[in-house]
Amino acid sequence: MQLTFINGSPRPAKSNTGRLMEHFIRGFLETAGNTCQTEFLARHRKNLDALAENFASSENVIIGFPLYVDAMPGSVKEFIEALEPLSGSKQLPALGFVIQCGFPETAHLRFVERYCAKLTRRLGCRPLGCILKGGCEGLDVQPDFLTAKYYLAFQAIGLHFGKTGIFDETLLKKLAHPENLKAENMLQIIPFINQGLWDAQMEKNGALNKSFDRPLIP
Amino acid sequence: MNFLILNGNPPGKGKKIDEYIERLAGAIKNARHDVEVLILRDMKINPCLGCFDCWVKTPGLCSIKDDAREVAKNYIASDHVIFCSPLIMGFVSSLLKNAMDRNLPLIHPHLEDLDGEIHHKKRYDKYPVISFLLEKESCTDDEDMAIATEIFRRQAINVRTTLGFVRLTQSPVEEVLRAIDVH
Repeated sequence: MQLTFINGSPRPAKSNTGRLMEHFIRGFLETAGNTCQTEFLARHRKNLDALAENFASSENVIIGFPLYVDAMPGSVKEFIEALEPLSGSKQLPALGFVIQCGFPETAHLRFVERYCAKLTRRLGCRPLGCILKGGCEGLDVQPDFLTAKYYLAFQAIGLHFGKTGIFDETLLKKLAHPENLKAENMLQIIPFINQGLWDAQMEKNGALNKSFDRPLIP
Repeated sequence: MNFLILNGNPPGKGKKIDEYIERLAGAIKNARHDVEVLILRDMKINPCLGCFDCWVKTPGLCSIKDDAREVAKNYIASDHVIFCSPLIMGFVSSLLKNAMDRNLPLIHPHLEDLDGEIHHKKRYDKYPVISFLLEKESCTDDEDMAIATEIFRRQAINVRTTLGFVRLTQSPVEEVLRAIDVH
């Protein structure tokens, strides 16, 4: 099976999307004969038509991106617009998505998921579905026991996909947990992210005292 | 009230929505409101790089030097922002979406519990109501409208405001004006 992974993260070198997909691809490649090619959308911005051609000639495509204001980043939308002329063509690839967000709840991703499902039908691609994962901001500073869990789940989904050509519903559901958080869980998680992730970075940059600045006030 | 209209019609998509926006802006002025129209295709707005400098290095300011700061400045000074775009592949133009993404400095990185769901804290006291004026594409159906409208509703929550109206350019300007009066 052949797979093209289009990494739509605006941070090609250090993307959380790419970090997760590394493990998916590792699982995918465990099946003999499978091949995978990764393309970084940010490096194709000047010539999206070439990437669209690459898309059209692939057997399977997964487009990955972080959630930006409840949808795809503008740069991913540019690529979707470049795919418009392909709509309804014969022999388009099977199409899936991997979408992650910093919010801990997967519920935030369900709206863009519906968009992606409709987009897949609009193009006329065989749908693979969406791999959704919340809680992904700062994967490099999260404790290993958490990230190891995510990475293993991605590897398992990739392994299953590599063998069968489908995303396993049970594995997707497990990965998507928690869909929502209970109040007591929020009380634990929020300070962990606010202080542990954001304040720590502001402090490192000497910007903590400016945290709530309003420089654009009229 | 102060209105900001962001024209996200990309080059080469026809002039129909531009003409509609002109009529709408005129009608809003006649109703004795202030209105500013920014034509995004004439501005330089790069995509957000996801660097988070606007949260952790220079809080409230993006590190990319282009026209997005002017958009953000006008946005936060408004009472009501109307995002305008033709639908392209079932969603607003990348031109408009890039401008929306670049408003990230207007909110704060800290999270809080907002009605049982985690969202970002406010950086400013007050945010404009957001509305959408869209031009249909030939294949637009009810499902497309429902999907896009739900995303707009979510976006309003995340930029700490409410969704005003979602209207198509098929509606008469007067109807959009009435929808504005409600808010």
